[in-house]
Amino acid sequence: MAKIDASTTISSDIASYPVTISGEMTMTKSANPSVGLEETTGLRTKKFTTTTAAVIVEHDELTDDKAHKVYIRNASGSRANFFYVAYNASAAAATTAETIGKLYGGDWMLMPYNGNVNITVASSTATETQMLEYMVFADGIVAAKG
Amino acid sequence: MATTAQITITSADLMPGSALNITANTTLTKAGVTADLDQKESGVIKLVTGTEYRLGPLATEMAGDAHDIASYLYVHNKTTEDATYYVDWGIHETMIGRLYAGDWMFIPWNASDNDAEIEIEPQGGTNIIEYCLFNSDVILPTAG
Repeated sequence: MAKIDASTTISSDIASYPVTISGEMTMTKSANPSVGLEETTGLRTKKFTTTTAAVIVEHDELTDDKAHKVYIRNASGSRANFFYVAYNASAAAATTAETIGKLYGGDWMLMPYNGNVNITVASSTATETQMLEYMVFADGIVAAKG
Repeated sequence: MATTAQITITSADLMPGSALNITANTTLTKAGVTADLDQKESGVIKLVTGTEYRLGPLATEMAGDAHDIASYLYVHNKTTEDATYYVDWGIHETMIGRLYAGDWMFIPWNASDNDAEIEIEPQGGTNIIEYCLFNSDVILPTAG
């Protein structure tokens, strides 16, 4: 059984009092929260040169209705550009119903994912190359059949 | 007026022979620019199971072109009574994942329209969540 720890620290001086949020968790399985996740698709990097939407997580490679976690980071530096991130079979755009958000240069996200629908992204620019890093911590991988 | 968010993901044994150590840091800014986000709302809520709830404002409660709003949402399921409890989360009627007791999430949120709201639904029993939304402009209801 593997042990995967994820922690975050969010600090802000928006308010007149200091805001510091600290979150820590060990990624565990849905069927047994005392057992850690032990599978992953690996850490991937992908270069995007067009605005065409692309699937980065194929749901049929994962067991449905589980406690998967998806980490995504826009590894580019520009705050002017972003990736749409969506929970959709193929689309990711401003008007896509299941678009979660816009991941600007340098931004990261970590979200629970049930594995029932693909995760798609689309770069906001075709004139500047953007790099994406992503990794699925899986609560069950369906191995591809030969 | 900066807000920074850092993540660290580590595992010594997920991939034997290749210890995992991811660290990333970002500064939360307004959409498409380097100006810092300057507003937030946060809270701790006890949620009774069997009901869907909206977390955060609707698009029409946020100033400006909805597509150009940059918002970031942190949610932590503080439930300790039973580790099998979880909160389904999603966009509008589409559930995307399960935030189990003790888990946290951090996402950008695109409040494109009123049907793109963050929706949560507790499962298993009463769940307690804490959340913090960092955003640009929220419009308060007009006093009656």
